[in-house]
Amino acid sequence: MRPIKNPRLRKLIRFAVPWVLMPGLVALGIAVFHEKRYAFISLCLAVLSVVLFASGFDKKKTGTRRLVIVSVLTALSIVGRFIPFFKPVTALTVLTGMYLGAESGFLTGSLTAALSNFYFGQGPWTPFQMLSWGMIGFVAGLLASPLKKSRILLLVYGVFAGVLYSFIMDIWTVVWYNGSFHLSLYLTALVSAVPYTVSYVLSNVFFLLLFARPFGEKLERMRVKYGV
Amino acid sequence: MNAFDEFNPLSVFVYFLAAAGIAMFASDPVLLSLSMLGSVLLYCIRTRSSQRGTHLFSLMLFIGLSLINPLFQHNGVTVLFVLNDNPVTLEALLYGISAAAMIVSVLYWFRSFSAIITSDKLLYLFGLVSSKLALLVSMALRYVPLFKAQAKNVDAAQRAMGQYREDNVIDAIRLKLSVFSIMVSWALENGIVTADSMAARGYGIGKRTCFSPYRFRGKDALLTILTLLSGAAVCILMGLGHLDFNYYPATDPLLFTPARAAAYGAYLLLCLLPSLIEIGDALKWQYLRSKM
Repeated sequence: MRPIKNPRLRKLIRFAVPWVLMPGLVALGIAVFHEKRYAFISLCLAVLSVVLFASGFDKKKTGTRRLVIVSVLTALSIVGRFIPFFKPVTALTVLTGMYLGAESGFLTGSLTAALSNFYFGQGPWTPFQMLSWGMIGFVAGLLASPLKKSRILLLVYGVFAGVLYSFIMDIWTVVWYNGSFHLSLYLTALVSAVPYTVSYVLSNVFFLLLFARPFGEKLERMRVKYGV
Repeated sequence: MNAFDEFNPLSVFVYFLAAAGIAMFASDPVLLSLSMLGSVLLYCIRTRSSQRGTHLFSLMLFIGLSLINPLFQHNGVTVLFVLNDNPVTLEALLYGISAAAMIVSVLYWFRSFSAIITSDKLLYLFGLVSSKLALLVSMALRYVPLFKAQAKNVDAAQRAMGQYREDNVIDAIRLKLSVFSIMVSWALENGIVTADSMAARGYGIGKRTCFSPYRFRGKDALLTILTLLSGAAVCILMGLGHLDFNYYPATDPLLFTPARAAAYGAYLLLCLLPSLIEIGDALKWQYLRSKM
């Protein structure tokens, strides 16, 4: 694999994937498939962006310490996913994105989804889960400085991430079942998922409230002490 | 019986991608039935029909998913009955059944996939994409049991200090929190030590390669070629619109055109490939044993 040396090109890819390529593919799907077979487009989209991110990671010069820390955090959130009902995965992904950067946040989120599904069940939803958790970590990395300053904003982001995760996964459920988007089915899926959405939001707020300071301090200390 | 496990992970991965992928985007009832047949047969052969609970769950899921669609979708010309002023149509029910068949058969494909592609094979597949990613994945997978074991030790040590009452909810939460906090510190420090040790041994100096115990042999090539040929045939016929099947407003009649027959044949071969491999292997063993 040849590394991409041009920093501008790399920057372009990193911004083109979430903001241009993904909406573009959706628009193409509407134009070509006439809103039928959305599932195909969604799956392509998820796989494509995750692969692009992953290959971007290989091409970037990443320090060994950073690499190990990302795998440690991934393993921690996989272990955390075994806690029944309350899941600290999103909170850990958000904190990783905040303190170690957007790319690490994306990788922690998406790898947690991919690897923990070996314990919780792989399926066609895996790429979509990878994408949603990855994006939650990625956006947290982009918003790092305001999130670090304001605790309220961090909790609001936790609520937002929980609801968004549920909404995105339900879009996938409906599209997969129906082949195209159907509003009343989507609303039913949302209503039937309310206990899950509430548990996501509650556990995000709970764990962010609990972990933000100690966990943040620990990661910050890592950064200061070892220069990760 | 696991002759199919012995193939190169890449061939197996491509196989499942083709078989489950086509099922996910097919609307034709015959294709979906074939996918159902192949996936359930493979699962039964591999587990020797010991998984009654799984089959029962799949059956309930199938029935539930089939019945959801007619409750929400009122398209279709054949009205079966009227429920709360909303017509329940035959077409919507048929569409529900086809969607349920798609979902349940894809779930069966993925069950076999998870059983065959174990984490070491996954590492090999990750390594084909990026060796750094493969290292990351392998370390994360190794840390999961390590952290579980260490968390148990920390938990025992914390309990032994006697600061937490056994039958108190708040103390139980405090205990869990302090165990988690200790675990995070320990894991991060441990990670840094690992990283420094790796760096000291020369990690990152040369080009990384990924260890792989898997060879790409003749039979792997044969499996991949058969998968790609039959998969491509179905995809091309699907792309040309020969396999379009409309449920609304009235279900299309199933006409066996030559193109359809060819696609059905190709997909039948694709779906039965692993089952045939397993059965062939079992027969070979039977034959060898009877000669002894």
